[in-house]
Formats: sequence, C-alpha cells, structure tokens
Amino acid sequence: MAAVMELPSTREESWRWGDPAAIAAAAGLPRGEAPAGAWFLELEGARAVFVDGVLDEGRSDLRHVAIAPLEGGTHVLGARTTGHGWSLRVEAHASAELIQIVHIATGGENHVPAEIVLADGAQASVVETYVGTGWSNRSTRMTLGAGAKLARAVRLLQTAGFVSVRDEADVGAEASLIVTMLGAGDAGTRIDGAITVSGDDAFAEYGGALLARRDQRQECALSVRHAALNGQSKQIWRAVAADTSTASLAARVEVARDAQKTDGVQSLRGLLLKRTATVNLKPELEIFADDVKCAHGATVGELDQRALFYMQSRGIPHAKAQALLTRAFVGDAFAQIADETVRDAFVADADAWLEAAL
Amino acid sequence: MLKIENLHAEIDGKEILKGLSLEVNAGEVHAIMGPNGAGKSTLGYVLGGRPGYEVTSGSVTFDGVDLLELEAHERAAAGVFLGFQYPVEIPGVSNVQFLREALNAQRATRDEKALSGGEFLKLARGQADLLGMDYDMLKRPVNVGFSGGEKKRNEMVQMGIVNPKFAILDETDSGLDIDALRVVGDGINRIMRAPDKAVLLITHYQRLLDYVEPDFVHVLADGRIVRSGGKELAQQLESEGYVGIAA
Amino acid sequence: MMATRNAEAYAAANKTYEWGFSSDIEQEFAPKGLSEDTVRFISAKKGEPQWMLDWRLKAFALWQTMEAPDWSKLNVPPIDYQDAYYYAEPKAKPKLGSLDEVDPEILRVYEKLGIPIGEQKMLAGVVEDPLNEDGTPKRRVAVDAVFDSVSVATTFRKELEAAGVIFRSISEAIKEYPDLVRKWLGKVVPQRDNYFATLNSAVFSDGTFVYIPEGVRCPMELSTYFRINAENTGQFERTLIVADKGSYVSYLEGCTAPMRDENQLHAAVVELVVLDDAEIKYSTVQNWYPGDENGVGGIYNFVTKRALCQGKNSKVSWTQVETGSAITWKYPSCVLAGDGSVGEFYSVAVTNNRQQADTGTKMIHLGKNTRSTIVSKGISAGRSDNTYRGLVRVAPTAEGVRNFTQCDSLLLGDQCGAHTVPYIEVRNPSAQIEHEATTSKISEDQLFYAMSRGLDAEAAVALIVNGFAREVLQQLPMEFAVEAQKLLGISLEGSVG
Repeated sequence: MAAVMELPSTREESWRWGDPAAIAAAAGLPRGEAPAGAWFLELEGARAVFVDGVLDEGRSDLRHVAIAPLEGGTHVLGARTTGHGWSLRVEAHASAELIQIVHIATGGENHVPAEIVLADGAQASVVETYVGTGWSNRSTRMTLGAGAKLARAVRLLQTAGFVSVRDEADVGAEASLIVTMLGAGDAGTRIDGAITVSGDDAFAEYGGALLARRDQRQECALSVRHAALNGQSKQIWRAVAADTSTASLAARVEVARDAQKTDGVQSLRGLLLKRTATVNLKPELEIFADDVKCAHGATVGELDQRALFYMQSRGIPHAKAQALLTRAFVGDAFAQIADETVRDAFVADADAWLEAAL
Repeated sequence: MLKIENLHAEIDGKEILKGLSLEVNAGEVHAIMGPNGAGKSTLGYVLGGRPGYEVTSGSVTFDGVDLLELEAHERAAAGVFLGFQYPVEIPGVSNVQFLREALNAQRATRDEKALSGGEFLKLARGQADLLGMDYDMLKRPVNVGFSGGEKKRNEMVQMGIVNPKFAILDETDSGLDIDALRVVGDGINRIMRAPDKAVLLITHYQRLLDYVEPDFVHVLADGRIVRSGGKELAQQLESEGYVGIAA
Repeated sequence: MMATRNAEAYAAANKTYEWGFSSDIEQEFAPKGLSEDTVRFISAKKGEPQWMLDWRLKAFALWQTMEAPDWSKLNVPPIDYQDAYYYAEPKAKPKLGSLDEVDPEILRVYEKLGIPIGEQKMLAGVVEDPLNEDGTPKRRVAVDAVFDSVSVATTFRKELEAAGVIFRSISEAIKEYPDLVRKWLGKVVPQRDNYFATLNSAVFSDGTFVYIPEGVRCPMELSTYFRINAENTGQFERTLIVADKGSYVSYLEGCTAPMRDENQLHAAVVELVVLDDAEIKYSTVQNWYPGDENGVGGIYNFVTKRALCQGKNSKVSWTQVETGSAITWKYPSCVLAGDGSVGEFYSVAVTNNRQQADTGTKMIHLGKNTRSTIVSKGISAGRSDNTYRGLVRVAPTAEGVRNFTQCDSLLLGDQCGAHTVPYIEVRNPSAQIEHEATTSKISEDQLFYAMSRGLDAEAAVALIVNGFAREVLQQLPMEFAVEAQKLLGISLEGSVG
C-alpha cells in the first residue's frame, strides 16, 4: 500500500493527536461481506448507495444527484479522492429533495469525492451514513451562493477500520451552512473541515459529537475562517471517551483583517468515562479584526457525581443514570438539526452507543 | 454661561439637530423635554463632544469659549459635566481610581494641585454618603454589575466629586424608583443649585421636575426648540402630551 | 501641564526607546562565534570545576545535533549563531560594598534604568527601611544586579545569610555550593529540553542561584535586574531557585536593554524547585528594547522557565508583564508532581508596532489533587501579533485535578492580531478543566465616557487597559505594580489616534 506511506506525521501540528497508523491498518483490512441493515432513514427523497466507493445502482435512486468526475482538492487525504463521485447542483431559488447517501465499506480502502453546489437562494439537505469496515475516505466541497441554505448531517457508524472526512465549504452572502457530525461507531475517525465564510451576513455552524470507546481514536480538526463582514459561526462539539479511547477536538476560528462584526461561538466539551481514556481539546482563535465577538469555552470533566447519586437514590441503575446524563451532555450538539427524523436518528445512534459502551 | 445658536448636527449623514438655539445663564435650571427621536440625547452628546456627531453649522459658546473646538476631556476640564443616560461599564477599573484620575486630570488642566489619595477618598466618601451610595460601590469597577438605578446614582456621585459649573443630565431620572428619584433630585439641587452654576435637564417625563424645579422648560421636536416657557409648561405637557404642543 | 505631559508622551512614543542607551564600560569578550573553544573559554574565565565544564560540553555537543524550532506564529529572521559574542564582562570587577566601590558608570546605568532611589540606597546597604506613605514599613528588596553577564553587586547578604538563605550569582554558587547546584541544575529543564535551553546550558554566562532552607520565609523580596549592554552579545542567564520544605520566597525580575540596530539574542533558562509545603512567587516585568516602529532592532527573547513542584502541597506562582522585546517566546511552566501542589500563571503581554509575542504556560498535572490557574491578558496594538499558547495536561494518575484558564485579548486598532492556542489534554476523568476566552476592543463608549470625565485619549486608553489587566497586575508585588501600570500606558502610546 504505497500510498499509505505518504500519510502525514503526528509531528505536524494539525495531526498532533492524529492516528495515521490506524489509517494504514484500516486500509489493510481484507475485503469481505457487506454488512446487512436498514441504513436509510424513513424519509422521502433521493438515495445513493456506495459499496467500497462504487455506486450500487440497483439500490440507488439518484434523481437530481449526478455521478461525475471530480477533483479532490489539495488536502493530504482529500486529494486522494479525485475521480468519480457524486454531485448535487441546485439551481437558483430551487429546493432540492432530501438526499440520503449510504457508504458501505467491506474492507481495503475506498475514496469518493463529492460536491454540493447551491446557486443563490437554493436549498438542500443531505444525510450521509457510513457503515462497514476498511478505510473510507471522502472529500466534500460545498459552495453556497447568496442566501443559499444547506443542512448536512453525517453519521459515522463503521464497525471497524477508519473513516476520514475532508469538508471544504464556501459560504456566500446571507447563506446558511449547518453541518452536524456524529462519530458513534467503532472505527477510527478523522474529520478535517475548512469552512470559509466569504459573503457578508453569512452563517456557518459546524459541530457534532465524537463518541469513542475501546481503543478507538476519533478526532476533528476544524477551522472556520471569517473573510467577510458581519458573519456568524458556531462550533458546538462534544467529545466522550470511554475505555482506553481518545477523542480529540481541535477547532479554530479565524477572523480576517476585514471581517468586522464577526460573532464566532465555540463550545468544546469533553467527558471522560474511564480513567484510561483521553480527551484532547484545542479551542483556537486567530483574530485580525478588532470589532469582533469570539467567545469560546472549553471544559473537560466527568459526569456530575451528585446528579448520578441523586438518580441512583431514586432507583435508576448506575449505568442507566450515566447514560441519561451522557445523553443530555451529547444532546447539545444535535440541537441544530432541524429535521426531526434526522435528529431522532442521531439521538438513537448515540443511545445505542451509550447502551453498548456503559 | 452657555449659548447655542442655530445648531445643526448630524450623525452618519443624518441631520438630527436642525437649527437649535438656547441660552442658559448662571443660576438657571433649564429642562429640555420632547418626544422620543426629537434629538434630546443628540444635544447632550454634541455638547459633551462625542466623536461621530458632526456639527454642520451654528455655534456653541461656554463662558465665551467656543465649546465645539474642545475635545471631550477639555470640555470636562472647562467645567461641563455630562450625565449619561446609559452610563458605561469599565471592567477592572474601580470607581475610585477612575474618578481620582479624572478629577486630577481636570485639575491639572486648570493648573490646580492634584488631590492626594487621602484627600480624594474623603471627598468621594462624603459625596457617596450624601447620595446614599454604599461606600463599597466606590471600590467596585465603574458601573460593572450596577443596577440601572445604581448607575444613575453613581453619575450623581461623580458629579458631586467633580463639582462642575454646568451639568447636562440626560434622562437621569430613568430607571429610578420613587425613593431614588428623591435622593437624586436632592443631589442635583445640592450640587448644582448655585448662583454661578447651571443645569440642563434632558428628560422625557415631568416627574424629576417635581424635585428639581426648572426655571425654564423647552420643548424639543424634530431637532428644534418649538416652545419655551416656565415650569407650568412641563405640567401642561404631562397632561396634554407632546402631540398637541409640538404641533 | 496637560499639554506638556502629552508632548512628552508623544516624544517618547515617536522617537526612542526611553531606556535605549548604551554605556561604554570596557568589555572583555570571548572570541566571536560559537565553538567548543567558546564553551571552554567561558568555563575557564569563570574558573569553573571540571564537572561544570563537562556538563557544558555535553550540552554543546547536543546542541550541534539539534534543529532550531518550528516558529509557529512567529516570524523570526534566521539567526547567525557564529556572528555573535557569547561572553562579555565588565573589566574591573568591583567588590561588594558601598555604592562608592561600584563603577560609577554602572551606577549611572542604574539611575537611567530608573531603579528607585530607595533601592539604590539599599544597594549601598546604608539606610533603614523607608516607610510607605501610610506609615507602614516598605518591603525590602535585595538586588543582585547583573550587569551584562557578570554579577557585580549583592546586597543584604549578611541578613540573608543569617536566615540561612543562599543568594549568589550562579558562578559563585558553582564554586561555593557545588553539591547543591549539581543536584538541581538541569533537573527541571534538562539539557536537551529545547534548542535554546540546550544552547544556554552550553554557554550560560551568569545568573542567580537561590536556596531557601527548610522552614524559612525569606526575609525580603529578591530582585535581579538584567541588562544587555554589549553589541552582538547574546545574553544567556541561568537562574536556579530551590525552595526547601516549608519555605517561601518572592523573587522579582526586571529587564531593560539598550537600543541597538541589530537584533540581539537572549536565551535564558530559569529553573525552580519547590519541595513539600514550600512556595515560590516569581514575578517578571520585561521591558527590553522592542525595536522601532518599523520593526528594526529589538531583542529576541527566547526563554525557558519551568518550575518543578516536587513536594506535597508546594506552590509556584508565575506573574509576568511582558511589554518589551521584538520577539518574545516564553512559556513559564509548572510540573505539578507533588500531591496537592498548585501552579499559577498570570500574564499581561503587550505588543505594539511590529512586536511579536508568543507566550503562555504549560501546566503538567502529575500529582493527585493538583490545581492550576491561568489568567492571560493579551493586548495588541499597531501591526503587532500577540499569541497565547498554553497546555494543560492531566496524567492518568492525577486524581482530582482542577484547572481554570481565562484568556482575554484586547485589540487596539485593526492592523494587529490576537491569537489563542490552548491545548487541553486530559487522561483522568476526575479532572475538572475549564477554559474561557474572550476577544474585545476598547469600545468608543468607554473612551468617550472616560474622556467626558476629563481624561485625554492616551490616559483613557491607559486606564481602560489597566482595568483589563487588573487581575494580573494585582498579583505583582507592590514594588512592581506601579512600574507595570506605567509601562502598559507607555507601551501603548501612539496606538490610538
């Protein structure tokens, strides 16, 4: 696997808490059977299934989604996806139907690029689900015209291997981008995000939850760059680490010289469930404009022992009490999901993880 | 003491004061009343020298000096005090430190000796007592965590300490309950009612005027003084509203 | 009077570094450049024992294998290590005694530096404690003045000795207390720690050694003034403070440097060792030449400061006010090894013009119930960049850890940058780690409010900035608090228009 040898080193700042070795190991997993399961949510709209990076036409109903040759960009992992991927282009002021994409991996490595291009005033929502094993590597480029709205929710549920997601977004004037990630599988995870708020009065929210257990390492390295006036951004992240796992969040707000009146909110919170687990946080600010509001907070700790005891004293078993409190802790990160069915699915995924992990 | 002639002022290119004239003599208390948006606060800020308020024509003289030529801190040193409608919070800087530096800067400009820490504390404590402000509040950061009423009371304590010749009090009565209103009103009378001093009260309601009796009342509407009279004008406004009188 | 004050302020802001001057005391230089011979020269010059020379040579060998660090947010021109002198000392080394015995040129330097009269008198050891305005006795300060690289005067030695406190230049300590120095030197900051610490280990010229014996509360504040005074001479100070069980010491350090066109390298190492129930309070006011408004000249300040809280319930408190240097790179840190030990870091960093500051701390929690507090206030003006970079790490064994971090940035003008780069690495679930950060500017409302009460723009800014930095300034010993407040105002002159 010659390509794997070119993975970044943890000496690089953005890979400080990364796990390139796990990517190599995941890529080396043998191909096998596709896992069975109903991965689509009960929602009307377009559907696409990729098995080891190849469209399964029989199970897909592409409608307005196209398959096209796409560039993967310059990012060290994203670049590998250059090739055929899925493309969603929505005309001005049109609303696309919901799109669901399921990525099934059976082993080895697979790379798929994607693009979402919304013209002025266009709207779309996308739900993606990753299952199976092996190394799944994706890059997604999102371009939002003036006043466009994109809601994207990504469930990382692979049972083994590694999922790496590279997102790049350009958010135009008065546009709104909302991306929610959930890592609740048993695979290693690397989310790389580079969001640019390039139009005035735009809004970008990029957040989610990483739930890590066993010897898993899940991490997110995200930057939101404000390059225009009056922008607003939110990065609400929750990291939960059980067993000997590591959950890491490196999130940055950048405010360019001219991006006055920026309001960047950052909330990174970590929860450790076992003393052998690790949470790493890096809430970073890089600010070059003086009239901005960039409040951020970061906390790490364990569950409130008094609340746990209180619940137990009312008859709730310890594990259940832990699960309830953890669920509440994680829930903050899903609040921005507007579609109730999608939000319920995220909560159910998190519940299933808690059930198994605690 | 203060002479405003045909004052035109704008902010962000929008004209707010449109030919305002007013003369205030020593020993007088004038009340400026008027509906929201008439330009009352703008008048206070223009007189106080707030950046961003551009005087396009007209003149303001204070004791014969062109007030508009002075920077904000020079106006303060000249004896003009602006009581803010919304006093500003300055975290980390105690009231005592703030006022001592301000007072001594003013005194330095007037070639007066700086007050020592002890002298200043005595003065500050006295004024706080007179206005019923807890001495501890003097040690707290300027206006941080103060209620609306406490902030207004603090403005009066500051006025007492600075002891200006001329005070412009912008909506000093807003946010005060009836007891506080009495204390503040008494404070204004005590500090400013003197033959060599004058006050410009900017207010929306008549109630402060029950405690600080004005010699003259002016109605400000659309950037101009549309009517002037004695204290009875305030009562008339209270009962008839601005609409009838300003029209 | 107001006008005069302003005129002076502007003159100071526009023209020169107030304390930028150099005095022409004869220097004895080591040959230019850096080689094993330089290291041997320094060691021989100081009459060091063989073990010390061996230690230096080992560090030098290490350094030659190392690469200069990756500069992250700093923009550092390449440094030619061969184009500098590594050792200089005043030729006539005065004996300790009265002021009369000290080179008058040096005394003039102190005067220009603005060392308070009281301290100058104390330097001579001739006066009773003066009283403060309110009649309380003024705290005493013992000054071990470092002029360039060699300590030239130490005061209050007798009283300190009576208390059992050892307060020496490190060169003296190496000879007089070899066992103590050998035991701790390089134990907190190992020779191979980082590029500049390794360089310092090889060529350190002088510095301070302090030992506070068990149960002793040091009877006075200890203070050292550092200066760089020779063209192209790197300054490599080495400070080692050991606080034995149950002892306490407050150490003050202040720096200024003369104006130079070439950039000057400074790579100091400070090691603190704190045993059971002991406490060290280490305060710094750093006001070295920052370069001119175009970024020409100025000191490169690459400092490694670290404390080892080895004992149970030991405590270290770092307080720093950083207003000088063209480039500041320093992270006073605490290794909290002893159970119940406490680390504190209070910092104000001001950058103006083209200055760059990258400063913060590392709190390494190893022991149980260890606690740390970080309060960082960054103030950027002009075209400067100001970065807080910090690490809070909790080891798996460290139960019950608490950390609170507050990072606030204040921007003056729209040509500067403020950056916050905190790392939080937690491996124990019982930890409670909280980090908060804010970014703000001085609001026009605040400025106008202060001005309407009579302050001019510069005074209003200075007042508001001092309020912003208050939590940190109030940690400083009285002697420094006033000076530091003045410095903040001076450092920001010309930054508001």
